[in-house]
Amino acid sequence: MYRSSGFISFFLRRLTGVALVLYLGAHLWVIGSATQGPAVFDARLAAVQSPFFKLAEIALLGAVWYHAFDGVRLLLVNWFRVTSYRASLLYTALVMTVLLTVMGGLPILLFLLEG
Amino acid sequence: MRWFQLQRLSAVALVIFLTVHMVVLHYPPFHIDFSRIIERMAQPLWKAIDIAFLFFVLLHALTGTYAVLTDLQAVARFRRILAGSAIGLGVAGFIYGAATILAFHPPA
Amino acid sequence: MDTAIVRVQRFHPETDRRPRLERYSVPLTSDTTVLDALHWIKTEVDGSLTFRRSCRHAICGSCAMNVNGRNVLVCKTSLAREVGKGRPVTIRPLPYLPVIKDLVVDRSSFWEQYLRVKPWLVPPEQAPAKEFRMLPEEVAALQNAETCILCGACYSACQVVGLTKEYIGPHALLKAFLRVLDPRDTLPGERLAEVSGHDGAFRCHTIFNCIEACPKGLNPTQAIETLRLLAQKRERFEAERRDRLSQWAKAGSAP
Repeated sequence: MYRSSGFISFFLRRLTGVALVLYLGAHLWVIGSATQGPAVFDARLAAVQSPFFKLAEIALLGAVWYHAFDGVRLLLVNWFRVTSYRASLLYTALVMTVLLTVMGGLPILLFLLEG
Repeated sequence: MRWFQLQRLSAVALVIFLTVHMVVLHYPPFHIDFSRIIERMAQPLWKAIDIAFLFFVLLHALTGTYAVLTDLQAVARFRRILAGSAIGLGVAGFIYGAATILAFHPPA
Repeated sequence: MDTAIVRVQRFHPETDRRPRLERYSVPLTSDTTVLDALHWIKTEVDGSLTFRRSCRHAICGSCAMNVNGRNVLVCKTSLAREVGKGRPVTIRPLPYLPVIKDLVVDRSSFWEQYLRVKPWLVPPEQAPAKEFRMLPEEVAALQNAETCILCGACYSACQVVGLTKEYIGPHALLKAFLRVLDPRDTLPGERLAEVSGHDGAFRCHTIFNCIEACPKGLNPTQAIETLRLLAQKRERFEAERRDRLSQWAKAGSAP
């Protein structure tokens, strides 16, 4: 593939999108069991609270933030004439992703370590 | 054009809904079980919010998947089938999800 | 005399099953362009090296190729600067297009998509008495898009094109933008309809490779965004154009 920073952004956007769609399926399956009563719900939820899943949750957070910030970047390019700022916009999106993933991930990590 | 507009519309809506979702649910304490959601999910307001959330999520996920698939030349021939499937899946998913949300009631 | 190592992708369909990279040692001065290097190889080393070139001063658009991973016009690419990047200079044909021989690619899809948008102006049948009066801002908006030399660098750099040749492409969309924004054009509605299908302006994923690749510094992405906005208010735009054309018609026709 033609190498460029734009390609990386596009590829990550697609990758996080597909990952989120798959997550969505699993998430709805777990949450949807609420109508089957507390026993089933709590069991399913407990199954996805193991350390592996908690770490995956942080990765999920990263995916959500990246996808959202890259999406906002697209909206900005769509509505305003900012193509000359494309490099700084991508950089900002990546920085915001890392910042917010760390901010959100740290409590999860701490919760995991002490629990 | 319509797919593009739907995707952008649902994206903007999701930014709002996702923020609400994150703040309401995932603020400490981090332990989630049935008892934590039981009161909220019984209220009509939250049911409505969650149904709207589900609607926009399905819209965005399906338009996104459609875009990813139809970009491939090999798949592009089946555009109409993919479009139909996406709409079908969306409708089915929404009905099932909305019904589940509406049906939820705290056990007696 | 300084020399530089260049690697050139070779492929002769009669004899090769797959393309391969050949190394050549070419003379290097501060003025040598990559095109100079290719010419030197063809004259001094291997006359069968095949590539397109014509004007050698960045106006004909023939010599677009991929040098060290970027699409450039080799007639205005300094060999010394490429060498200075620390890797062997690698010259390949434009990506995503079928290779005919060595550095020559098949640009049929490029031209088909170009013709598809009717890239010529369709003015009203009756010209105004004196001239089509336009505002400086209207002319300025077209300035950028007019200087496209149809080299193919943007089209060949676009990942959407890489995924599917059904996509109209940044070159044709830039040209469509040029004609749509031209106040003299009588077909804005038809043009916008053509580019707002599933393989038109809405298929662009804002990857920006076209801007990076363009040797003339043009901005197809911005043109595509404008087309997207106009396509969503097509009827209103068409009505405004009709008013404009009728103003000119009222001003009286040429004798």
